[in-house]
Amino acid sequence: MVSTTTGAAAGRGQPTPVGESAEVNRPQRRYRASRRRDTLAALAFISPWIVGFLLFTAWPVLYSAYLSLTDYDVINDPNFVGLDNYKELFADPKIALSLANTVFYTLIQVPLHVLVSLALALLLNRAMRAAGFFRTAFFLPKMTPPVAVGILFLLLFNGQSGLINTVLGWFGINGPAWTTDPHWVKPGLILMSLWTVGSSVIIFLAALRNVPLDMYDSGKVDGANWWQQTIHITTPMISGSIFFVVVVNTIAAFQTFSEAYTAFFGSGNTTYSNDAALFYAIYLFQQAFQFLHMGYASAMAWLLFVIILIITLIQVRVSRRLVYLEGEQR
Amino acid sequence: MTSEALDAGSRAVAPAIAQAELSRGPSRLRPPRRTWTIGRALILLALIACSVIFIYPFIWLLSASLKPRSDVFDNMLIPQTITFHNYLTVWQQAPMALWLVNTLFVTVLAALTVAISSAMVAWGFAYFRFPLRGPLFGLVLATMMLPGAVTMVPVFLIWNSLGMVGTLTPLWAQNLFGSAFYIFLLRQFFLGLPRDMFEAATIDGAGNWSIFWRIAVPLCRPALVVTLLFEFQAAWTDLMRPLIYLRDASSYTIPRGLKALLDQFGFGGDWHWEIIVTASVIATVPMILLFFAGQRHFVQGIATTGSKG
Amino acid sequence: MRLRRHRVGLTLVALLSVTACAKGVSDNPAPQSSQLGPSASMSGSLQVMGFGASDEIATTRLDLAQKAIAPATVKLVQGDLDVQQFLSAVASGKPPALVYASRDQIGTFASRGAIIPLDECIQAESIPTPDFVPSALAQVTLNGKVYGIPEFNQVEVIQANGNLLKQAGLTIDDVNGSSWERVTAANKKLTKTESGKLKVIGFDSKLPEFLPLWARANGAELISADGKTAQLNDPKVAEALQFAVGIYNDQGGFGKVKALRDSADFFGKKNQFASGTLGAMPFEQWYINVLNDVSPQAPMAFGTFKTKQGESVAFNTGSAWAIPKGGPSPAAACRLAKTMTAVDSWVAAAKVRADKRASQHKPFTGVLTGNKVADAQIKAMIKPSGDPKWDAGTAAVYLANDHTFAMPANPADAEFKTAWQDAVNRVLNGQQQPQAALDQAQKEAQAALDKAWDNWKNK
Repeated sequence: MVSTTTGAAAGRGQPTPVGESAEVNRPQRRYRASRRRDTLAALAFISPWIVGFLLFTAWPVLYSAYLSLTDYDVINDPNFVGLDNYKELFADPKIALSLANTVFYTLIQVPLHVLVSLALALLLNRAMRAAGFFRTAFFLPKMTPPVAVGILFLLLFNGQSGLINTVLGWFGINGPAWTTDPHWVKPGLILMSLWTVGSSVIIFLAALRNVPLDMYDSGKVDGANWWQQTIHITTPMISGSIFFVVVVNTIAAFQTFSEAYTAFFGSGNTTYSNDAALFYAIYLFQQAFQFLHMGYASAMAWLLFVIILIITLIQVRVSRRLVYLEGEQR
Repeated sequence: MTSEALDAGSRAVAPAIAQAELSRGPSRLRPPRRTWTIGRALILLALIACSVIFIYPFIWLLSASLKPRSDVFDNMLIPQTITFHNYLTVWQQAPMALWLVNTLFVTVLAALTVAISSAMVAWGFAYFRFPLRGPLFGLVLATMMLPGAVTMVPVFLIWNSLGMVGTLTPLWAQNLFGSAFYIFLLRQFFLGLPRDMFEAATIDGAGNWSIFWRIAVPLCRPALVVTLLFEFQAAWTDLMRPLIYLRDASSYTIPRGLKALLDQFGFGGDWHWEIIVTASVIATVPMILLFFAGQRHFVQGIATTGSKG
Repeated sequence: MRLRRHRVGLTLVALLSVTACAKGVSDNPAPQSSQLGPSASMSGSLQVMGFGASDEIATTRLDLAQKAIAPATVKLVQGDLDVQQFLSAVASGKPPALVYASRDQIGTFASRGAIIPLDECIQAESIPTPDFVPSALAQVTLNGKVYGIPEFNQVEVIQANGNLLKQAGLTIDDVNGSSWERVTAANKKLTKTESGKLKVIGFDSKLPEFLPLWARANGAELISADGKTAQLNDPKVAEALQFAVGIYNDQGGFGKVKALRDSADFFGKKNQFASGTLGAMPFEQWYINVLNDVSPQAPMAFGTFKTKQGESVAFNTGSAWAIPKGGPSPAAACRLAKTMTAVDSWVAAAKVRADKRASQHKPFTGVLTGNKVADAQIKAMIKPSGDPKWDAGTAAVYLANDHTFAMPANPADAEFKTAWQDAVNRVLNGQQQPQAALDQAQKEAQAALDKAWDNWKNK
């Protein structure tokens, strides 16, 4: 059992993986009976998710669709207003502004996130003993409460005395006012977000470990150096995980909230805010909990959902060309 | 199609872990201990440099927490005066111990329930064949794309009607029903396990549940550890749910407590930054310890070469 | 099979029951006046949201209040009023008994029906509303009805570094706003830049918070007295904004000032005044106590903020007690609010503080309570501290307290504030010019006001 098992990643069609049941070998007579047994058993196992889905996803989604057609402030009953919220949505300049901010942030943050976490994973892959220490170091920021990260941002990126600009000063670069200059607010936030790449590093690390080393051997035989190996062997082999990280992080980036909120919109007490940091999720939050426009906020949430859905579908389409799916029969 | 395409995403992760478990023993592909080359030294240097960048903010927090109030922003890494007074104050001003206990309670429950339920659901999708399996799984994936804001208010109303607002239950109980991310991850993993193992068990008369619980689950230990770890981290640092569901300071979790402290001692309030940083340190340290402890388990899985036998 | 059908049935039942519960709490009746007042019975545990009992001023009064409502007890939900928390409490049908909110939040809550008018409560418990500072009361009065009992008053005074002023040949009059030309000139003299880095902030006009102050100094109000019409793009407001931003521009831009300001040890012994990195600024009076605590030797100079006509003026803010609709014990809540803001409670609290300060050899600088009678009595308790500069500070504070103004309550508080603050921020960030920014703010604010007042009428 031990030495003959491979795994789906090898996709070399050896002892059939769990997912591909050798149904064709079963006698036809018992086919339907076992199929029904399978279905019932499967549903039994899946039932927790189904219940949860109906209760915590399906109904809330429908209800929030209803709420988006109302004027609702939680204190009083919802008041049906038809498509007014959506009309207002398309006329609201802050929607366009916050979307633009969010898209900008996502477009830059996601590739950077992937690159940085991949680079770190590649480095970690070669670490020998102190790997545990490094792994903890990279995952550590992820464990810091986002509120603390927001505060740290204000402190470290302070235009005059923050650490970032001090270090830049050592290289003779006059650092910008990260916390106030509208052109540098988002880049600053993006840099800050790179601090929490820990979980992606772990995912990539696992994927890297899975790349069969003999592939590299054959590459070396062909005379490929380290860089070429990375581009032509490693990347395609882990493209599945890259894709996964891209999709998951795009969805997350579109909903970025905590750090920017703490740094720029405070606990309702700082009056200085910055349009450049008004992300969609923050504006949604303001509408919902500061202005008490729950109906409008629900409409905003739906718009976001549609956008994320479209973008994810596009990513999936694109992935078919770029992602190497092991053992996949197309 | 969609599900298969997204499948591939974690296909690389799961089998690596499976591999490591199933193919123990020395492999000819484990590289022999190499001598120190420039390359390796450079890599180590790069790692150290990166680690410093990653750790520095936390060190700053730690150092600030040991400083008296007036020195918090003096930008010196080693405090001029070291004082533990802040920790004492935090302990007195805020029920930190209680918050830690609450957070631990919620986090452990959240992680355990999500691991078990997601494993169950993932197994359902991986092992059995049934009509509409593909589309149903696609639905699971689609829920990953749902922004939290869409369901926030209605879910609150549900918990309200069940009378659970103000308790810690809404913070973890949804994990009883699995979570798309981990279902996805674990399913990929299960798909990589060889089927004959299970056929052998079926022939021996094992029921579906035994197969799942006694064979599949132990095999996917590293994947479960990753699930536990990620969910632990997510539940530990979650702010949104405590913000909406918790009212009584004695039921706060750490992120919520931190925010309350911030409101009280931070911006606009009385600005006791040293309290804030101290509370942040207290909030982060348990996770670090846990991570260190948990690492051994999936390191065991990942550290072996993950190569093909 | 059977199990599955039942599961479906159960789910449907759950869904229906939940839908039925998705309503507001507007069905709870308002309390009758006969249920309030001295004869009302007190019982239960009152949840109070938004009040933090952090110092002796708070705890002394709280003790007295607790005695007044015994055997009912008080349960504090510590920390600033968290709107999500409050809303979710209201939505779950279990609002707190009493909330402690910032006065500029009252309008929004009142217009949504989240808090009840306090007229009956005031009458039943004989709360002396004429005793309150008029502008504070105006902040919590909507459509002629009082929705909050004011507590505390924050006013601004000019706080300056006396040494820096003297070195530049200036006096407090140069920086108190009585002449904008003099402020501009003083700013230029006090600002110090070294190799491109700002070292000393000359004058900090404290935007965006204090736009109302600068507007008033120029003779303009941001909103009409009835709270219905925004007046943000009044040319005088634009002028004020232009001036205040100009102060920053003369120092190299708001970014530089904010960066230097942010990195200062605001509450520590190396604060901006002690370290000589700030010339002067208008700021709230509670900071004087902080300065006194951490840097008693700092060379402070104080004065009131003045309009262009030379009148002292201050924009006041503060908190207020409000009773949520559907709260469990309006009678006890009312009495609690009354006792917390009663003259006797204030005086008792002030005495405790005065004694404490005396034992620490620190001056007692008074307390601004929002209640004129209490203020006068506490003022009489103040003795000269022996250090003229801190005494000057106290004097300035009390003078300012006699000349306060505030914006009237309006049902779109949050949006209104956001509109003008955003406008100021846009100008500060260099994204728009003052008049254009204020025009945009005017549009946004007026739209929000109109909508909110409309909804208010339709209830």
